[in-house]
Amino acid sequence: MSTLSIDPRRLLRHETVLVFLLAIALLVLSVQSEHFFTADNLLNQGRLMTEVSLIALAMTFVILTGGIDLSVGSIFGLVAISLGVLWQSLGLPLPMAMIVAVMIGGAAGLLNGLIITRFGVPPLITTLATLMLYRGLAEGISQGRSVRGYPDWFLQLAQGELLHVPNQFWLLCICAVAAAVILGCTAFGRAIYATGANKTAAWFSGIDIRRTQLWIYIASGLLTAMAAIIFVSRVSTTRSDMGTGMELEAITAVVLGGASIFGGHGTVIGTVLGLALMQALKNGLALAGVRGDGTIIVIGLVLIATSLISNSFNRGKS
Amino acid sequence: MKHFAKSIAIFVLAIASSSAFAATWTGADDLPAQPLSCDATPAPAVARPYDGGAPVNAPSRKGKKLNVVDVPKLIGIGYFNATTKGIAAAAKELGTVKVRTDGPTRANIDEQITFIDNYITSGVDGILFAANDPVAIAPVLKRALSKGINVVGYDADAAPRARQWFVNQAQFNSMAKVLIDTLARETGGRGNFAIVTSTFTTPNQARWIAEMAAYQARCHPQMRWLETVEAQEDNMLSFTQTSTLINKYGDKLSGVMGMTTVATPAAAEAITQAKRCGKVAIVGMATPNAVKPYLNKGCMKSAVLWNPVDLGYAAMYALRAAADGTLRPGSTSLKAGRLGELKVVNGSEILLGAPYVFTKSNVNGFDF
Repeated sequence: MSTLSIDPRRLLRHETVLVFLLAIALLVLSVQSEHFFTADNLLNQGRLMTEVSLIALAMTFVILTGGIDLSVGSIFGLVAISLGVLWQSLGLPLPMAMIVAVMIGGAAGLLNGLIITRFGVPPLITTLATLMLYRGLAEGISQGRSVRGYPDWFLQLAQGELLHVPNQFWLLCICAVAAAVILGCTAFGRAIYATGANKTAAWFSGIDIRRTQLWIYIASGLLTAMAAIIFVSRVSTTRSDMGTGMELEAITAVVLGGASIFGGHGTVIGTVLGLALMQALKNGLALAGVRGDGTIIVIGLVLIATSLISNSFNRGKS
Repeated sequence: MKHFAKSIAIFVLAIASSSAFAATWTGADDLPAQPLSCDATPAPAVARPYDGGAPVNAPSRKGKKLNVVDVPKLIGIGYFNATTKGIAAAAKELGTVKVRTDGPTRANIDEQITFIDNYITSGVDGILFAANDPVAIAPVLKRALSKGINVVGYDADAAPRARQWFVNQAQFNSMAKVLIDTLARETGGRGNFAIVTSTFTTPNQARWIAEMAAYQARCHPQMRWLETVEAQEDNMLSFTQTSTLINKYGDKLSGVMGMTTVATPAAAEAITQAKRCGKVAIVGMATPNAVKPYLNKGCMKSAVLWNPVDLGYAAMYALRAAADGTLRPGSTSLKAGRLGELKVVNGSEILLGAPYVFTKSNVNGFDF
């Protein structure tokens, strides 16, 4: 297996760059605005970033296998609408509706995985098609109406706190640790790296690449579904246009975190750092008085800069 | 072979999903409509108690300098540029307000919430907003109120408890009446018409469509509503959708209604290019600059809107008055600078006035 394992120095480099950038960003931003580096604000950011972060964790796995999942934003909308319709129109008890909605997310991921693995359609094309398909279903099912009036206990899920930390941030931490352990310490994790690095070699090494990919896309659907339910609870309404464009935010965080878009390299820690950097910039720049359009320019520039820095470190080795 | 099987599978799924939703529903919401009477009788005014929210432990801001942020649905489109202009003009006139406009570049509920959240943290005194979703925006606005921030909406409301006041540009039923009456006049009261809207989920548009359907059924029963199409707030898409309607219905189509300030001029352009001027009437909401050429050439006879500059202007005055405590629960009017006295309606709304119809004879006097 040693030929398949990745050079730890190479990954360390990118993550070190990120830690360094994040430290600079935190320092500069807290000088720019006294409201930035406060417990209140940082915890609130934890609440706001959970949905995209959950999706980005799953996206890390997808991208590691050399795939991509463009349909997550649409699965997000479909799950949100399903939750509302199952509960309000079909009269299911809300906890049951939540479970079924998460399963719908899993099924959407399963369909992606089946098309990719059984028919050999490239993930980009498959998920581009299902991006439209799932969004269309969401709009059709919702008929343009939003579902509102959720009970208080449900709204507390994503608006409440446990030990002063937003509920969903706990969940995010658990998921991040679990993802890091699965990727770093299990045979399944190694199978993912192997699949992404070289499918043929992985296949000849006895790895069931189809099954690996299938599970990854199901997991992507499931985590996206969880994110959608948290989002519905946070904003207390359901609309079919929820999650539009979310796939790009998640992919940005993953590649900012140093994962190769061709598969094979990347870590959960990288993604988490990428997410933290993005959220710090979005929030900190806004507090420092930079307008919204300025913020996205900075995020674009940071993405280019980290790629360049990381590439220049690695050039000597390849 | 495998590819073939896959494409068949996707095709079947696509057809199945689209055909399931055809049928009668055409983009209205399901709240009850209150159509006005067919003649000009005004609706009976019902006095309602104040139903807005109140900031918690707000410091006395009477006459003090205010730091205000304006978060519209999105920035960078003509309509909200105009409201921004009005807000800035009012702030300058008042002299005691520092205001900035900031918001998402697309009409996205999540991004808008995040913007407001950040401005609450940065410690503003007042927030002006135009909501992308009335319910989704409510928790963050309530958070603003709980921090003692004055909150006033305009253009698109939030749940009343989540803000103090809302400046209503035109009541939904009076807008619907003007639009349908105008279209009826231009199509002889018995034409087939189609609607080009933003998306079926946009609350204002869905509400107008619901009111229009109710009013048309009551007052112009011989008109026929063919369908409603979605065109986001996208220029190209609105043009394409209108062209499709023209091709699809041919001579049967005698009117197109544009529900957004983007859709109406694009629809007028589509009708001009299809050489159907005079055969297909185009009525809708539009800013005067965008429809000037069509009105002047006569391809379009009327566009309906309020003045968004006045809307922003009134919102700024309402916020200042709310912060000063001169506009408070129980007030029946607001002194809004050059606009004079504006009436308080529906408990906690301030009514800007009646919708304004732009025609060839008056459009050249406007510039926004």
